[in-house]
Order: sequence, then C-alpha cells, then structure tokens
Amino acid sequence: MSQDRTLRRLIRRETHSSRALPSIICACILMLVFLWLALEAVLWILSDQPLLASPAQMFQWLIGLPAATLPAGMAAAGAGLGILGLVLLGAALGKGRKARRSVAGRRAAVVVDDDVIAAAVSSTARLAASLAPGQVTTTIGGRSVRVQARPTSGVPLDRQAITTAVDDELAALALDRRVSSSIRILDQGAVGQ
Amino acid sequence: MRQTNRALNRILLALLGIALLGAGAAVIAAGILPGAADTWTAVASSAQQYARDLVRTAPLPEPVRSWWIVAGLGVLLLGAALSAAWLASQGGGRTPRLAEQLDGSAQADGSDAATGRTVVDVGLVSAAIREALSGNRDVLATSVSAWESRRGTALRLRLEARKGSSPRELADTAEQLIREMDALLGHPIPVLVRITSGARTQVSGSRRAR
Repeated sequence: MSQDRTLRRLIRRETHSSRALPSIICACILMLVFLWLALEAVLWILSDQPLLASPAQMFQWLIGLPAATLPAGMAAAGAGLGILGLVLLGAALGKGRKARRSVAGRRAAVVVDDDVIAAAVSSTARLAASLAPGQVTTTIGGRSVRVQARPTSGVPLDRQAITTAVDDELAALALDRRVSSSIRILDQGAVGQ
Repeated sequence: MRQTNRALNRILLALLGIALLGAGAAVIAAGILPGAADTWTAVASSAQQYARDLVRTAPLPEPVRSWWIVAGLGVLLLGAALSAAWLASQGGGRTPRLAEQLDGSAQADGSDAATGRTVVDVGLVSAAIREALSGNRDVLATSVSAWESRRGTALRLRLEARKGSSPRELADTAEQLIREMDALLGHPIPVLVRITSGARTQVSGSRRAR
C-alpha cells in the first residue's frame, strides 16, 4: 500500500512541472531588488553618492509618477505588470502537465514521453496497412490520439485494419488517462511506393 | 524526483502574481481615472510623511539617525536572504548511493560492536542494466540515478527508445530487469522507469523489419 503511494507520488512528480524555472527567475529578481534597495539605503545612511537613486528620490519619483507620465503610458505600464502577474498566477495555479504519461506497471512506475507513444502508434499503423515510413503521422494531445495516413497512390487503404491496430496498441499500453483515437486518411496519395 | 518543494513554489508564485496584478491595476487606475491619480499622490505623500515621523521616534547617533532605519535595512536583508533560500530550495536530492546497511548490532552502551557498513553504489546497478540491455536493439541509451526522498531512496531508470519501438515491450523489459535487481539486492526499492526520446532517437532510424 505504501509502495503504491510512493509510486503514485513518483508518477505525479514526473508528469507534472515543478515550476522550478519561474521560481528560480523570480527568486533571482527578488533577491537582486532587495540587495539593491539595501545597498541604496546604506549609501544614503553614509551620505554617499547613490547607485541609481536614493530612497528619498525614489519616494519623490513615486509621488510624481501619475503627474509626470502620460495616461496612456501609465495604462500600458499597468497592463504590462498585470500580464506578468497573470503569467505567474497561471504558472502557480495551472495543471503544469508535461508531454508524458504513465503506463500501467506492476513493479515500477513507468512514465513514457508522448512522442515515443506517437512513434509507436505510427509504426503499428504503418505495419498494419503496409505503408512506407513517413506515410503515417500521429499527434498526441491531452486526451486524443490523431493518426493521419497517406495512402499509396492507387492502392486503397484498409481503415478498419489501422483502427484495430491503433486501438490494440493503445490498449496494450494501458495509459493512465483514457485517450480517444481518430484516424484520418488523406485524399492525396503518395506516389510510387 | 528532485526534492523541490512544489507547494512552496506554487504559493510564492501565486503571491507574486497577485502582487503584480494589484500593482498593475493601481498603475492603470492612476493613469486613467483622475481621482485615482490624486489618491495615489496623497497616499504616497502621507506614506513618506509617516516614514519621516517614524524615523524621529527612535533616534540614534548621527550617521544612522534612527532605529527604524536599521529595522528597514534588516527587513531588506531578510527579504534578500529569504529569496536566496527559495532559490536554494530548488532541485537537489541526487545521491550516489542506492542503499546502505550497517552490519552487526549496536551495543547496550551505545557504541557499535565490530561492525561493517555495506553501501550499494548506483554505478553497480547502472553497469548491470547497461550490460543487460546492450543486446536490446530498441534501447539506444540508458541512464540510472538514485534520488533521496522523504520515503527513502528511489531509483530512476531512463531508457532512450528507438523511434517506433513499443513502449509496452520496453516497460516489460525494464520490469523484468528490476525484478532481477530486487533478487540481487535483497530488498525492493521504489523505481521510476522513464521511456524517453532523445538526441540518439532523432539520428538513428527505425527498425524496418520486425
């Protein structure tokens, strides 16, 4: 039971983003700002020349900001800040799923990249319909598997065979999230295969 | 696998986001609404006045002038230190040893008897798995690493798959290997198997004949 919990935790942590990158960026910026403000304060206490602006100058700038700036400039700056805030909120509250998913395993937690699954599905479909490499492409989205097959010119394509092969492959994988497969056979054929 | 505190990251990013949203809204309001601009100026001036008054309440000798300035400086440095701590909390947890066992029993007086310490290095498992998979044409590369977590050490086994190879077969192969490893080591450890594509997947072709 506890083994199960450990494996589930491993899978959860592997398939979801840790937000380390935005955290590192934010922490660096915050640290630099705090250090800069502290340095300015020390310089101000020592009555030394400020690096960029002394605390008094900062206050003065802040007080005069609405009067000194065009309204459109204020609105644009505010919108920029707001968008940055929304991006951070999105990173914090979003699902943060990565393009990989777990497949059933008895002993270990198994997590597979989506493009490996897509390549495997393409390969299976291609073998089932006896096509050349490159005639089948697969795209995997959140809950969908879209298979695109380009038939060889003049040779009809067996849609049922492809559907069966793709569904068998997906069933064998036993993905943790149910996916629906759709097969699309292109109108144009590939020449001379 | 890393020991990043994900909840902390989410909370701090959300707080920063809310703060930035609030600041953005205030700046937009001060730009567009005339009343808001006046309020902005009034609030900022009174804050400056308040700070000046505060500085006078706890005087210190000349170069520093006030305890409140010292306190403000302390808050700024504390903020920098907390940011550094947040930065340092990202990642980590990789360990070179997979398992460790102390042999012999501890004596009643607390000192160890003539004991030995057995350490299983990740390199052992890594070499064993590379050897076992060297004949497998669907596996282009392997890497093994061990990570510490709250519930003990976990093993991460990464297999780079050849384009078009079946993840199911790779997963079954990996599980078989892990069972053999369990028999070798004696006690099972949690294992994460990662089946990925990588640089070598792109340059090596798929297997034509199966």
